[in-house]
Amino acid sequence: MSTQPVLYAYNLPDYTIFESLKDFDYYIGEPDNIYIVLGRSNNIEGAINCENVKKDGIITLKRPSGGESVILSPNMLIFSFKQKSDKIQNPANLFKLINSKLIENLSKLGIENLYSKGISDLSIGEKKIMGSSMFTKNKTIFYHGVLNISEDVELIEKYLKHPSKEPDYRKKRSHREFVSSLQREGYNLTKAELTTAIENSILEIREAFID
Amino acid sequence: MRYIFKFPDIGEGLEEGVIVQWHVDKGQKVKMGESLVTMETDKVVTEIPSPRDGVIAARYGSEGETIKVGAALVEIELNADEVGDSPIEDKPKVESVEEDGAGVVGTLEVAGNDFVLTASKEGVSEQKENKTRHTKALATPVARAMAKDMGIDINLVRGTGPAQRVMKEDIQNHAKQDSKTPIPQLSSTKNLLEDRLEIEPLSQIRKTIAKNMIQSKHNAAHMTVFEEVEISELDRVRKKYKDYFKDENIRITYLAFIVKAVALALKKHKSLNAEMDMDKGVMIYKKYYNIGIAADTEKGLVVPVIKNADKLSVKEIALEIQTLADKARDGKLSMDDMKDGTFTITSYGSIGGLFAVPVINYPQAGILGIGRISKQPIVKDDKLDIGLILPLSLSVDHRIADGGETSRFLNRVMSYLNEPVGLLID
Repeated sequence: MSTQPVLYAYNLPDYTIFESLKDFDYYIGEPDNIYIVLGRSNNIEGAINCENVKKDGIITLKRPSGGESVILSPNMLIFSFKQKSDKIQNPANLFKLINSKLIENLSKLGIENLYSKGISDLSIGEKKIMGSSMFTKNKTIFYHGVLNISEDVELIEKYLKHPSKEPDYRKKRSHREFVSSLQREGYNLTKAELTTAIENSILEIREAFID
Repeated sequence: MRYIFKFPDIGEGLEEGVIVQWHVDKGQKVKMGESLVTMETDKVVTEIPSPRDGVIAARYGSEGETIKVGAALVEIELNADEVGDSPIEDKPKVESVEEDGAGVVGTLEVAGNDFVLTASKEGVSEQKENKTRHTKALATPVARAMAKDMGIDINLVRGTGPAQRVMKEDIQNHAKQDSKTPIPQLSSTKNLLEDRLEIEPLSQIRKTIAKNMIQSKHNAAHMTVFEEVEISELDRVRKKYKDYFKDENIRITYLAFIVKAVALALKKHKSLNAEMDMDKGVMIYKKYYNIGIAADTEKGLVVPVIKNADKLSVKEIALEIQTLADKARDGKLSMDDMKDGTFTITSYGSIGGLFAVPVINYPQAGILGIGRISKQPIVKDDKLDIGLILPLSLSVDHRIADGGETSRFLNRVMSYLNEPVGLLID
């Protein structure tokens, strides 16, 4: 019997906004369960600890965007937006813009030492607390990110292997040493507070599209 | 006229992307903005729109293939509509435009790195008079870099590309004209410089080599030990098995034995297969033995890696060297081929040179230099004899490896090479 878990196409609620008829739409919410989400090019055997994942019955999805595998859990917030536009965006600059807005709005909640690291991560100091990726299709950009509010990093250690590619600032650190949560860094913020901060960021980003 | 559209730098600092899906075929008409191809980089999967109206004259790369930033993606025949659907010329006039600030979502504006860059038809109006510009010049990145290096104000250069975009050739022509401007007291100096200097922008590989070399010299404490080892027995064994595997098209080289010897010696001298993380205050000893082979290619130095060399036979190592060498020669080495090395060997002897002071492939702990093999007089059993001598130069990071351990490691490597039967026993 195969030890590989079944791989499903990404179908979480945030993706429905990509199908919506609106030019601009967004979603912020917490996953209803634990999911493992592979990047578009990730190989299931290379990315996850298949035995643990299958034993625990974790649902494994593959998203259409790039990047490495992530875990989603109810102790995290996922946030996504789509923007249809004839204006062509530079993805690297878009990541920078989004992160600058997130830093601005999360800082207002008292979170310190926030940095934009790697291509699109947000960190507190050298510890990653948010990852993101995007894809474009039919002149529409779809961006999605996940912020770790209070999930235990041991969960990541248990299910995910060390990624095949890593940003310079990771410096070969294990998930345990590299990833953190807001709670672990000493910030006990409510989901409502964080949702508002992220929502403000997304709406400010939209202004940049309109401008 | 044919327009070459190259895979633009997304701005992530990445050097390559993977072709996910082609949306056009050769001979197909495309409108500006229509999707040509879906590309994937580390964080982004995106469709790249056509920068021009025209007919696809050529497309490069197949789905799943990795394409370097700056490599041609498609060629678009721009005048196809004007001449009807006539066949594409055999030798079209080619315009090569490199993009800056464009991102993989594609655009032709290269005036700056603004956040929003709108694709437009501006670049098509090539026959318009080249008016004096008072704004920032449109230019290719190569032209900008060249102008900067040569101290030329790019805004004063007449561009001959689409929309008066300044091309590399425009900078070269401007520099020539500039140097020919009659300034009596300086003209002789200028002509002299023109004759004696050739200035070209740094290639990506040269930039990477420079960055890595400086990083190594700045961060590691280099120390080099020189030795000579007599390898007549190794030569005898090699010749025997070279003929033996000839039919399988496997070239049994000295290097294959050296790689095996180094890998086995590293297992017994762990500090030579380590790296130091000063930030965390730890030493990282690696329990895998991936040997990098510094290779001289037309484009510059590359270091493909033989993974788990300790577990491979000499024959398997020889085959792997052959495969990597072929890839290096053809410019087909992937990032996977070159990553995760734990120790490096540089073999300059085939070109020339006995000893060297190799620069450590940082953050690795050591690099072994292989010099030119030569016959030399040796003393064997108190008698003068002819020996086959291999010069070795071992550079180590003295922060990681002490002198004693370095010498013991080198002695072990020499022992394997002097008596190659040890490669089978250990």
